[in-house]
Amino acid sequence: MDKLMGQLKRQIIERLNLKDLKPEDIGDDQPLFVEGLGLDSIDALELIVLLQQDYHIKLDKAEDGPKVFHSVRTMADYITKHSPAKKAS
Amino acid sequence: MQVYIRSSGNISPQHSLEKDLFFAHREMQDGNRWHAVEPEYSRYVDSKMIRRMSRIVRMGVAASKACLDEAEVRMPSGIVTGTAYGCLEDTGIFLRRMIDNQEELLTPTAFIQSTHNTVGAQIALLLKCHGYNNTIVHRGFSFENALMDAMLLLREGMDNVLAGAIDEITEDSHAILSRFGLYIPAIDNPEITAKTHKGSVAGEGASFFLLSSQEIHGARAILRGISTIYKPESLAGVESRIHAFLKESSVLSDGIGLVLSGANGDGDHDEIDNYLSATAFRNKTIVPFKQLCGEYPTASGFALWLAVLLISEQKTPDWLPNVSFPLRNILIHNHYDNNHHALYLISAC
Repeated sequence: MDKLMGQLKRQIIERLNLKDLKPEDIGDDQPLFVEGLGLDSIDALELIVLLQQDYHIKLDKAEDGPKVFHSVRTMADYITKHSPAKKAS
Repeated sequence: MQVYIRSSGNISPQHSLEKDLFFAHREMQDGNRWHAVEPEYSRYVDSKMIRRMSRIVRMGVAASKACLDEAEVRMPSGIVTGTAYGCLEDTGIFLRRMIDNQEELLTPTAFIQSTHNTVGAQIALLLKCHGYNNTIVHRGFSFENALMDAMLLLREGMDNVLAGAIDEITEDSHAILSRFGLYIPAIDNPEITAKTHKGSVAGEGASFFLLSSQEIHGARAILRGISTIYKPESLAGVESRIHAFLKESSVLSDGIGLVLSGANGDGDHDEIDNYLSATAFRNKTIVPFKQLCGEYPTASGFALWLAVLLISEQKTPDWLPNVSFPLRNILIHNHYDNNHHALYLISAC
């Protein structure tokens, strides 16, 4: 889980061009949107594409978005539970 | 109609954003692609806002901010920008992703930022300016038509209008335009007009001006008029248009202290420059401004910035040829591929 969260932080920084941030600046449970990292709705779309492109996971229900993308930990949880390999087993 | 130029901001292959540096040092770049000297953008834009901005957007936003800061104006009544190429970098990113991802999983950021009006829109967003906002895309006349739009707004009663020009050169656009023979294949001297070549040098930049119809204390110059000529029929035709333009502006040819010429060393298109040097501009000090900024469709924005600087400071850098002072009037003659000709007359306040 820690490895996955570290990887996600690096991907978020790269994908969203957060050049001033280092992975260690993003807390595992820090909210990604609004009061936390300050991401917005355009970033949400970038994160959805990140899940789909890099982890082959399609968000089933749009209304799950706020919960899934709440923090790096919730994203990692969702990836762990929904990765294609996990589904196949 | 004449308008007052209250302030200006410029990013170019010279140190044009910092006056002292510009006067002290001429930037000489190798090769046939001259990159803009870019500032530390966090001085002009919140670093959180920068992350989605491509280079051209950053250049435009920083130049416009420098312009407004100089005039100590927080909110212009309107914003008009001119660009020929638009936001090429993000267009390239967006198209490349379409191909790589087989038209699926496309993210919005590059697409949103790829439209030609992105710079004008970003400036308005940052300023929270809900006034008139327009972007003119008209090849070699993009900036001229943006200025004319701004002048018409002032005539209709607007207080002040921010008008600007932006164009960038990217790896892709440089490669494509090189195939059309626009750029000198092997350049051995950055003084590009010292001899003729096939092609010129690719340039880029952002120029912004705060215009007002009323004379305001501290205004830096007067823009007495603009005129454009599309595909002139003859060399003599351009010369007679120049004389008519000066006559309309009530300035005698003898009153022109400096000509900023759009000559770019391209042997295919310099017949007009050679002709005017021997006729309309004979015995005048001529500075080919593209030796400083390179060639691009809105390069006249750089020329106007340079004219405003020289006429308001009443001095020239040591590295420019001797100009007689006091300098009352500057004429700009620019042309893009000898198709789009533009004339500007700038006077001291």
